[in-house]
Amino acid sequence: MSIQVQHITKQFGDFAALDGINLEIPTGELVALLGPSGSGKTTLLRIIAGLETADGGNILFHGSDATTQSVRERNIGFVFQHYALFRHMTVFENIAFGLRVRPRKLRPPKQEIADRVHELLRLVQLEGLAKRYPAQLSGGQRQRVALARALAVEPTVLLLDEPFGALDAQVRVELRRWLRRLHDELKITGVFVTHDQEEALEVADRVVVMNRGRIEQVGTPTEVYDQPASPFVYNFLGNVNLFHGRVHDGKIEIDSAAHAGVTVGDRDTAATVGYVRAHDLDVDRVAKDVSSMAAVVRHIHAVGSSVRIDLTLQVSNEPAEAQISRERHEELSLSVGEQVFVTPRRVKFFGDYQI
Amino acid sequence: MKWSFKQHSVIPGFSLALGFTVLYLSLVVLIPLSTIFIKTAGLSWVQFWETISSPRVLASFRLSFGASFIAALVNTLFGLLVAWVLVRYRFPGKGLVDALVDLPFALPTAVGGIALTTIYAENGLLGSLLARVGIKAAFTPLGIVIALTFIGLPFVVRTVQPVLQELDAEMEEASACLGATRLQTFCRVILPTLLPALLTGFALAFARALGEYGSVVFISGNMPMKTEILPLMIMTKLEQFDFAGATAIAVVMLVASFVFLLLINLLQWWSARREA
Repeated sequence: MSIQVQHITKQFGDFAALDGINLEIPTGELVALLGPSGSGKTTLLRIIAGLETADGGNILFHGSDATTQSVRERNIGFVFQHYALFRHMTVFENIAFGLRVRPRKLRPPKQEIADRVHELLRLVQLEGLAKRYPAQLSGGQRQRVALARALAVEPTVLLLDEPFGALDAQVRVELRRWLRRLHDELKITGVFVTHDQEEALEVADRVVVMNRGRIEQVGTPTEVYDQPASPFVYNFLGNVNLFHGRVHDGKIEIDSAAHAGVTVGDRDTAATVGYVRAHDLDVDRVAKDVSSMAAVVRHIHAVGSSVRIDLTLQVSNEPAEAQISRERHEELSLSVGEQVFVTPRRVKFFGDYQI
Repeated sequence: MKWSFKQHSVIPGFSLALGFTVLYLSLVVLIPLSTIFIKTAGLSWVQFWETISSPRVLASFRLSFGASFIAALVNTLFGLLVAWVLVRYRFPGKGLVDALVDLPFALPTAVGGIALTTIYAENGLLGSLLARVGIKAAFTPLGIVIALTFIGLPFVVRTVQPVLQELDAEMEEASACLGATRLQTFCRVILPTLLPALLTGFALAFARALGEYGSVVFISGNMPMKTEILPLMIMTKLEQFDFAGATAIAVVMLVASFVFLLLINLLQWWSARREA
């Protein structure tokens, strides 16, 4: 079922948590709401669920207005960051809850409920734990119970609020890949909130980047990573270098190196900021072209699949970070304190922007 | 490995602290209570049985246990309501209301008794209103229930309040998301979580009501066979220099208190085991 968010606003006192949000989530897609804390992503999710009411705007489920519907009527599955399992019920009772509270006419018979619960336990790979209490489970297991409980009522939409936020790193990676596979299997429309860019880029079909109650960009993971629409998105997704430069004779100058072919209008000597991803910065012993900048190696982190090099630009004294392959690192065999030249392969300029 | 009472600790003094604790508890609790049993032992079984099964004593047993039970039940219901209001809502004067709950604790019970008697007497503020609809409060079992409700209120509120405070609001939201009505959420999610605290509060209020003397003797009127509570029976026996008779009743009350303590502990053990 598709979800349409139209002009949603929400105010907490003087603070605008959501400022005119428009968003369309097509049927069957898994969408990530990504942003720093305070960006309004959780508020938006809770408004879609009906746990929070918006000050203005509409929520449409499959084209029909659901704005005034209560949580109960919306038939959504909601997974909370801290699981929110019923502590006094066993895993079985937790999952069966949604079916057991149905009005008598719609309530499935006992055997059917038991079958459904066991089928869900198989789906979340927790067979044999039906009689345990939530306190006797690990964090990852609890979150899977929470997911099974949400799925038990056959919701039309699955909403997850930082579903992996309370888990440790290894379980988190495991569980998010599992969620992706589960989604491919069930094909249910899903929205999840996260502040972890890696999680959003890996799991979601589409990423909605939010900042200060507004949507900065909507796109596939590749789109938002490769073509960020704003400095904020650039900053939030992945390691990025900020080079402060000025516009001179219609050309941009950073650290007295010219960046040919890039012009930003006629505002002479206007300040500008160039954004370069760490892996888009080449490191050489000699200057490659006019856009090369002299820098000094400060530190080398040679752990992992690539090598990270901390540098300081010589003219402006600005810090920079380059990421090169292990092979390239062996070829160069750099040492700390050495002078090198860095050349950006791809630069994106935005006007004078302060984060 | 050598087994030892002593555990390594950065703060020394295990032997001294334990020794003092045992001595202190013996002097203050164990020795005085054991004399009750010793004194009662002066009676033969037949005498003991005759004392506690005389009609007047039996009537006060019924009254004390009955009134305490009703008062504890009323307190459980309204204590839950008070705790709910104090935890869930914000309103002006909340701090004052919160402090008022403790008043029955702090007030000398005799003061409470006199105040309640004045108000509930037939010419009193509330008593005259009740009299108009034909209900007599002071000097009847109803008056005793009122006094016992008054002194037992803080127990339920103060045991339920912290549990209610820690109750995960997300659990209620999860329940609503799963299609439960408000009543279903309350009955199936909130109430079971509060149940151990409610039962503990009930048992505490009941135990306290059973032993209450000061606030009741004024409002009860102390009519034989009608409004004599157990502690009063003990007083009466003592005034007649029937020490053995007084301790016989005391033994029964003591055993009842022990049973309640045991019940409370069982409850806490049971709820801790489920949520640990």
